[in-house]
Amino acid sequence: MGFEGIQNKIVILDGAMGTVLQQRGLPPGGQPELLNLTEPALLRSVYEEYVDAGSQVVYTNTFGANGLKLERTGRSVAEVVTAAVQLAKEAVGSRALVALDIGPLGELLEPMGSLPFERAYDLFREMAEAGARAGADLAVIETMTDLYEAKAALLAVKEHTALPTFVTMSFEPRGRTFTGCTVASMARTLEGLGADAIGLNCSLGPDMLAPMLKELCENTRLPVIAKPNAGLPDPVDGHYDMGPEAFAAALAPCLDLGVTLFGGCCGTSPAYIRAVAAALEGKTPAKRHYDAVPFVCTATEPLRLDGVRVIGERINPTGKKRFQQALLEEDLDYILDVGLQEVDAGADILDVNVGYPGVDEVSMLPRVVKKLQSALDIPLQLDSTNPAALEAGLRVYNGKAAVNSVNGDPAVLERLLPIVKKYGAAVVGLALDENGIPQTAEGRVTIARRILEAALAHGIPKEDVWIDCLTLTVSAQQDQAVETLRAVRTVHEELSLRTVLGVSNISFGLPNRPLITQNFLIQALGAGLSLPIINPNQREMMDAVAAFRVLSGEDRECRAYVDRFAGVDAKAAPAPVAADMTLDEAIIRGLRADAGKLAKAALATEDELSLVEGHLIPALDKVGEGYEQGKVFLPQLLSAAQAAQAVFEVIRASIAQKGGAPVKKGSLVIATVKGDIHDIGKNIVKTVLENYGYEVIDLGRDVPPETILQTVEAEHIRLVGLSALMTTTLPAMEETIHLLQTLPEPPAIMVGGAVVTPEYAHQMGADYYSKDARQSVEIAREVLG
Amino acid sequence: MEAMRYLGAGEGDDALRRQLEAVAAELTAALEPRYVYRVFDLAREDGAILLVGTGVRLPGATASTMLAQCRRAALLACTLGPGFDTLLRKEQARDMGRAVMLDACGSAWVESGCNTAEEELHVRLPGLFLTDRFSPGYGDLPLSIQPAVCAALDAGRRVGIHVSDSFLMNPMKSVTAVIGIADRPQMARVRGCAYCAMAASCRLRKGGKHCGI
Repeated sequence: MGFEGIQNKIVILDGAMGTVLQQRGLPPGGQPELLNLTEPALLRSVYEEYVDAGSQVVYTNTFGANGLKLERTGRSVAEVVTAAVQLAKEAVGSRALVALDIGPLGELLEPMGSLPFERAYDLFREMAEAGARAGADLAVIETMTDLYEAKAALLAVKEHTALPTFVTMSFEPRGRTFTGCTVASMARTLEGLGADAIGLNCSLGPDMLAPMLKELCENTRLPVIAKPNAGLPDPVDGHYDMGPEAFAAALAPCLDLGVTLFGGCCGTSPAYIRAVAAALEGKTPAKRHYDAVPFVCTATEPLRLDGVRVIGERINPTGKKRFQQALLEEDLDYILDVGLQEVDAGADILDVNVGYPGVDEVSMLPRVVKKLQSALDIPLQLDSTNPAALEAGLRVYNGKAAVNSVNGDPAVLERLLPIVKKYGAAVVGLALDENGIPQTAEGRVTIARRILEAALAHGIPKEDVWIDCLTLTVSAQQDQAVETLRAVRTVHEELSLRTVLGVSNISFGLPNRPLITQNFLIQALGAGLSLPIINPNQREMMDAVAAFRVLSGEDRECRAYVDRFAGVDAKAAPAPVAADMTLDEAIIRGLRADAGKLAKAALATEDELSLVEGHLIPALDKVGEGYEQGKVFLPQLLSAAQAAQAVFEVIRASIAQKGGAPVKKGSLVIATVKGDIHDIGKNIVKTVLENYGYEVIDLGRDVPPETILQTVEAEHIRLVGLSALMTTTLPAMEETIHLLQTLPEPPAIMVGGAVVTPEYAHQMGADYYSKDARQSVEIAREVLG
Repeated sequence: MEAMRYLGAGEGDDALRRQLEAVAAELTAALEPRYVYRVFDLAREDGAILLVGTGVRLPGATASTMLAQCRRAALLACTLGPGFDTLLRKEQARDMGRAVMLDACGSAWVESGCNTAEEELHVRLPGLFLTDRFSPGYGDLPLSIQPAVCAALDAGRRVGIHVSDSFLMNPMKSVTAVIGIADRPQMARVRGCAYCAMAASCRLRKGGKHCGI
């Protein structure tokens, strides 16, 4: 049989390799992939038994044959993978297909671990190329728990081989993987990325996997795989609780859910596969019911677009001096903070635009995507016209994103749609073309149709095409507001496409802008607008959306509306600052919002510098003294630091507005040393130092000594802070210190962290031991002033 | 409350306690500790204790004292999963003060997961007695056994724990432990600073306090 045989046919896969090897007396653990070189006869017999039992596809014994796991074995990936594929092919001949098996790398990817996405991709690429060269018929990426890792693997196989590729992931009974990935996110992301079949393997028995298989079948058009365990293992002795007949009896009904590829994972053996093959003999696949709902997601947050969904517009430098400054300074923490505020205000999707003169969008967009998805759980819409930047951003995005935007210009469509298709994104099509914006609704709808046709021709499904009918400023072109609304209605009703609209432009140049914008928003929602792009921090807009969701029936039992407004007088302004509160008090008590407001007020009478020197630092010092005396605890110290940060934000915005240079007291580098991945202590130090006005270059965690050295040299740094948590990473700290001391003018070095003591610090050659964040400020003052 | 001790705040400060309780309530609603354990026979060789059928070798005085009366022992791994790391990253972006409290609550919550697992194990082994739980890094039990412990439990696949080259576990709030199984009641206690490898550098000890382990 060829691979083409899998569509709409029942296919029997194989069962476990490890379980069978253990039954034959091999101890658990070790590196079973090396058996390809040392025990070929044993492996050959296992493959033969699976084919005899009915397997039409066998997986090679290469689950962990990646560069990380083989590193210490003295064997290369090419050597092991080639031997494994050849062995399997010899064993099965033309009786079955040979699938190159690719398991997780064994290290967590960023941001959970420290393995970069790009490095994971390279490791998978090495396996895929070797497997394809050795003659594998297809590739299977299995037992994944991180959608991001599955994406790296799938891209690596697809970009470097022509092998059809299956991807299966492992879920817990609650319907999520260990990393929180949902079934819908997995299905729609992997289908978008071009997987040929997807499914679930390992972790549970067939009975417990069934509800998730049902959900999977509803969320994909692809053939679906079930490869469960033989039930659950006994916690005391590790034996699985289902025999072959019980396993087959529980697995066979999954056919009716839509599954067509069947096999087994841990605890199964050829006897299980024989029973499954017998149970499915003569059966036919069930009819599938795919739910073609518009959809975007992160790995952990699936978002069905079956109601009004708010796209936040704030991550965009246009007209925002402070944001422009952050982009130029590569201050990604600021951009994250902007996104966080939008999330807290109720945005459902964030538009991300980092295009600004002097910013390299191709490198900045993926960095911002990584930063945002490290802390926020919200789908992103990448906003750029630069194909290279979009590709770089989509590549590192974990989930199914949207792209803003293409338009009806054939050249633009040809340039961008292949990228949208390759990464399985949704796309916003602007209803304009090379001739400009049509002045009538009909003209815009015609372009919308053209965009839809082009997308379909590129293999992008209809539900992934969203149309922006374009808002024009009503004070300049008054008759256009009605045309926009008519176009929205037609695209919604006649083309049945989702519509996007950046509504804020409507009121440009008019007084009381929020009133016009809100009215236009409400009318547009009435006309069928589903994806308004707005500033979610503007209460009028989010109020209108909340009310619309009630009237449209989307907000069932008015729950969200009641939660939003119950107990709140609709006309009340935000609570005013207590009349007698001073700025210093607000900082000391950690009242962020109040501190910000008081700082704004203070700027009317004082300049930025005196605000810092006269209020901010004395207040922080007072909290710091309380902390040293044991009267104030760490959380309170940090709350004060963050109230100070709010004050700093006001100061930075004020300076950016005037076009002046930012207030900075001096720069230092901080890092958690190589091998150490726990970084909250370092982050605490950073928070406190930044709020004393120091510029902190945070190199992150697991930082090689060379990176620290290079940064110190390039930025002429005079103070370096190093953190280590574990006894096992102290040598890396010492190594870093010694390397820095080879510089002609070495920087001062302060060290800290759970296992560091003043004695160790001295022995290692550090200049300062910092027992806590507070002390690091004293050291910074001494060194940097 | 364990988390108060981790923050170095002892029993004091009501306002802090209230905030901490709110953080703890959010955490326990959002995440359940997950664990895996398995029982192995013990063998003795060259002064070390071996867990039969695995690559785990327990050298040193801590293990030999703790397991002196045991013919079997359980390995246990417990984790809050990467969900905790994500929560903590988000909280660090939003409010560093709350992040520090969340970190402390996470440590307490994963220990509570270990307690649950230990109780479950106890129920499965009627008539037998358990020693105190002890972990790599405590006493003279080296951290370097961490990869073998996780491999014996298939902890990567079963609960998603990974061990780095420097023997750190990931996700952040993960614990492995050994529990001896004996025929008679176990009185030996490793718990206390005198047995702890961290005693020299412990932040709580520097402040004249202890952690309860």
